[in-house]
Amino acid sequence: MKSRFLKLLALLFAFTLIAAACGDDDGESTTGDDAADAADDGGDMADDGDMADDGDMADGGDDMADGDVSITVTGPERDESEAGAIQEVLGAWGDENGIEVTYLGSADWEAEINVQVEGGNPPDISIFPQPGKLADFARAGHVVPLNDEAAAATAANWSEAWTVFGNVDGVQYGVPVKADLKSLVWYQPARFAANGYEVPETFDEFTALVDQIAADGNRPLCVGIESGQATGWPFTDWVEDMLLRQHGPDVYDQWVAHEIPFNDERIVSTMQAVLDLWTEDNVFASSGSIAATAFQDNGQPLVDGDCFMHRQASFFSAFMPEGTAFGDGEGEVNVFYFPDINGDRPVLGAGTLAAAFNDNDATMALLAYLSTPDYAEARQIAQATRKGGGATLSGFLSAAQGQDPSVYQPLEQSFLNVLETAAIVRFDASDLMPPDVGAGTFWTEGTSAVNGDITAQEAADRIEASWP
Amino acid sequence: MQGAILSGDDLSKIISTLVLIVVAVGASAILWIGVNLLFNQVRTSWTRFNALAGYAVGFLLLLLLQGNRLLKPHGPDADSITRLGELLWTPLLGALIFSALAVILANNDDQAQRLWITSGSGLLLGGFIGIRLAEDARPELEILPLLLSTIVIAALSAGVALLRSRNPVPAALIGAALGWLIGGFGVPELGDGSAVESAIAAAVPGLAFGARIGLSKNADVAGRARIDAKSRGAIFLVPALFFVTVSLIAPTLTTIWLSLKDEDSVDFVWFENYGSVFTDVNSFDVGDWTNIFTSLLFILGVLIGLGGLAIGLVLRKRTGDGFSAGGPAFAPLMIAMVMIVFGVLSVLRGTIMNNLWWVFTVTVFSTGLGLAIAVLADRAKLESVAKSIIFMPMAISLVGASIIWRLVYVARDTSKSQTGLMNAVWVELGRWSTGSGIPTVLGTVLVWVLVALGVASISRSLTSRAYDKVPLRALATIVLLWIAYRFTFDGIGGFRTNSAGETVSDTIFFVQDQPFNNVWLMVILIWIQTGFAMVIMSAAIKAVPTELIEAAKVDGATESQVFWRVTLPQIRTTIGVVVTTLIVLVMKVYDIVKVVTNGNFGSQVLANDMFEEAFLFSNTGVGAALAVILFVSVLPVMVLNIRRMQREA
Repeated sequence: MKSRFLKLLALLFAFTLIAAACGDDDGESTTGDDAADAADDGGDMADDGDMADDGDMADGGDDMADGDVSITVTGPERDESEAGAIQEVLGAWGDENGIEVTYLGSADWEAEINVQVEGGNPPDISIFPQPGKLADFARAGHVVPLNDEAAAATAANWSEAWTVFGNVDGVQYGVPVKADLKSLVWYQPARFAANGYEVPETFDEFTALVDQIAADGNRPLCVGIESGQATGWPFTDWVEDMLLRQHGPDVYDQWVAHEIPFNDERIVSTMQAVLDLWTEDNVFASSGSIAATAFQDNGQPLVDGDCFMHRQASFFSAFMPEGTAFGDGEGEVNVFYFPDINGDRPVLGAGTLAAAFNDNDATMALLAYLSTPDYAEARQIAQATRKGGGATLSGFLSAAQGQDPSVYQPLEQSFLNVLETAAIVRFDASDLMPPDVGAGTFWTEGTSAVNGDITAQEAADRIEASWP
Repeated sequence: MQGAILSGDDLSKIISTLVLIVVAVGASAILWIGVNLLFNQVRTSWTRFNALAGYAVGFLLLLLLQGNRLLKPHGPDADSITRLGELLWTPLLGALIFSALAVILANNDDQAQRLWITSGSGLLLGGFIGIRLAEDARPELEILPLLLSTIVIAALSAGVALLRSRNPVPAALIGAALGWLIGGFGVPELGDGSAVESAIAAAVPGLAFGARIGLSKNADVAGRARIDAKSRGAIFLVPALFFVTVSLIAPTLTTIWLSLKDEDSVDFVWFENYGSVFTDVNSFDVGDWTNIFTSLLFILGVLIGLGGLAIGLVLRKRTGDGFSAGGPAFAPLMIAMVMIVFGVLSVLRGTIMNNLWWVFTVTVFSTGLGLAIAVLADRAKLESVAKSIIFMPMAISLVGASIIWRLVYVARDTSKSQTGLMNAVWVELGRWSTGSGIPTVLGTVLVWVLVALGVASISRSLTSRAYDKVPLRALATIVLLWIAYRFTFDGIGGFRTNSAGETVSDTIFFVQDQPFNNVWLMVILIWIQTGFAMVIMSAAIKAVPTELIEAAKVDGATESQVFWRVTLPQIRTTIGVVVTTLIVLVMKVYDIVKVVTNGNFGSQVLANDMFEEAFLFSNTGVGAALAVILFVSVLPVMVLNIRRMQREA
């Protein structure tokens, strides 16, 4: 009887201890916060921000422990060369500053960031491919504005034309970290010369060239819009580029801001113009139909000569077959500017923006670094090395001011030149629109239209109906 | 991303996960044994049991409050030891008070005194907790909802007790306590109230709970035995119920709740989300319903069905048995049903119709093929090898299978050779049937030999008076004849004539061509699930007593009669299980559509739509509404399944 009582007593203690351990968890995380706060305070970063504010954010997602500061950065770039280069550059910055920086690239970034944010477990920094998404998050209070230091660095390193995409209702949230030039057509100069074709200077010459190549029994264009979750985006790019040419930047801006409906006759006619260009005789689709062909599968046919031109962004160099040289020689690939109609040389661009989910000093310091030309150069070098070095293109491009142009290949320098000198630069519209449209119906209904299941008018009507 | 499979970081994560598992299992075991030991005390030492139970209840209650920072104060800059002490001293104190009260009650049989003690201490403890509540947890009293919820819930509880012919007073007290808690803390915004208000909000339920306990008698020997016996079941049940509640019931209720709110889950929109699902052409599009009657599949299906019906009616007049399973009318009617359903669902489009189509097709074909293979392989040579091969796809993940089949379905530009198996065969067939080489000649001979065989089989069954086999064989021969005719004259397969009059190859876009791309996606799931259906039904067939079959054979039954009249009725319940399992599984289909088409080309299904709405477009309301629609449509099948399981048990 006695031993039994002792057992019971022991159990009671065990019980209390377990409860205490559970409670301890709570205590520890509080202490963890304290340690983090202390580290912030003790660290060299000057700002003595309002720590009471940051308590909630820190609770949610940070991995600060034992006084070491660590930062998690997520983004959609997951290719070894891209993700590896980002990790290498950010890691080196972290080593210098005693901060552990981890980059996590994900194919499902669009879905994951929502889940992480709604679950109260966001990363410290995420790289947004869509300013529209960033604006959504900013208005919902999920991302925090840049502190003075980071905002100043961003303003100093990037031109207004780019920083505006990270600006929501007058407050700077995003730091541009990457730029893409989309109004490009890839072609093989040697093959053009052999067939007696010339690079078109106007849009009429472009359509005439398309007709001529088709009449010669060849396929002028390579088009493929399949891209997993994002299937349809190359179609949206074509529509945007064409709209910019046919109706000018003002209509484009009204369209993006939903000041004119999506099914405005000008938009519908532009969509129809793209679809009219993509006839069976004009397009080589390696998987049989445009909707089924993966966008990255268009490099090989271009090099093989199955098609003569491929309108795609500057980053497409990354999807050219391995060993493809860029230049005007035999078998080499080059680009020309997708010709304009009204002579105003509009340029369609895109890019990514980094934004933070907490205003810790370390996080803001990293954002400030991301805006610098130092970051752009380091990333370009790291990414080019991973691509094989030499004359290969890295696929990365940054419009940060004050970069050393020599880190870029001649072709890439010409991209930068276009971006810097163009009078009319417009950001990818689908990335600016609300995600329901820009990453939703514009893609899916566009894909249906390309597949011939619905007309351009029907697609535009449905997209308009889905605008939130 | 890194080269190494396991970095040191990963290893430490794995180790900490393992430690966590061991600790969790150990803690659960200790807790379970402890509770058992606690209730062992009921018979032998009532006072001690009460002391311990009071201790545990008091400790846990206050720990819950303190741990969630509902009690004040929390010193802002205490170190962890002081904080731990602060966290624990209130619960420990509470535990001692509860323990002492329990001991007093355990040794007091006077009803009036018990009531006074419990009510008084309930009031005091409740009030004390109310005063000690942290400022941001203090409620502002709103009299109307408070009284309303108290009265309603108390009345409901009393009513239920009366219906069960029990004393309504204790139930009403508990109801009043819960109602007061809900009205006092659940309705108003927390953090606006004063200490007095929060004391009132907490003291009244304390009083009611206390009075309820005071009304009960101190358990006598028989009562203690009853507590002892009943506790064991509860000890097993409570953890399971807890987890079911937390992980199943609570999320279900939350989802239904969210489905009634807008996309940010802020304002109530009632059934607007459901309305938007049914008005969106992408999820529900029956506008073209008149096209059903011009669809070839539908017309052929109706014709075949009428033929089957005629055969069945004639036979019923002659033999009294027209529509039995396996009879001559059976096959045409089945084929007609499939064709009519396909005809209807290929015209009515949208996510919801797609899901119905999936459920029908995959269930019917997986079950049918599984049953056929199970029967044909039964007692055959190499049975286990054949069944293993059929079962193998079950081992492949849905994503893996989808990628495999995407490669099978892929089409290439017609100027290139086809890399997808299906299109390679199709295009090659087109070349043979339109060409003039040796394969063309051989193919022509082959198809006509097949037609001849078909005709021969019909005449054989006519001469042997096996009229029941004629309809199916005639149907097959007609199809063969059509293929042979096309092969010889027009050509069949992947070719087309271009504008210049030349014959060029042509591919099928299995994944893109609507609406039958859906069927090609279903093939993937049928390929996987046939193995499942086959294994279960094969086991059931083997379990049919051989005496029955032998008796039927002795009576002169043919093999097919044995199957349709003896085996099939015996395995009916198994087929039911397979069918319901498949329906539930197919209803939730997600992976295949996600991987192969991602919902494009009119192949969207509910689960993928739900994922996209909720997690890509942040339309929580519509996403939740889709989840509820999915849940409600699976529910009847689940109920059916569970009820059958209960009947069999």
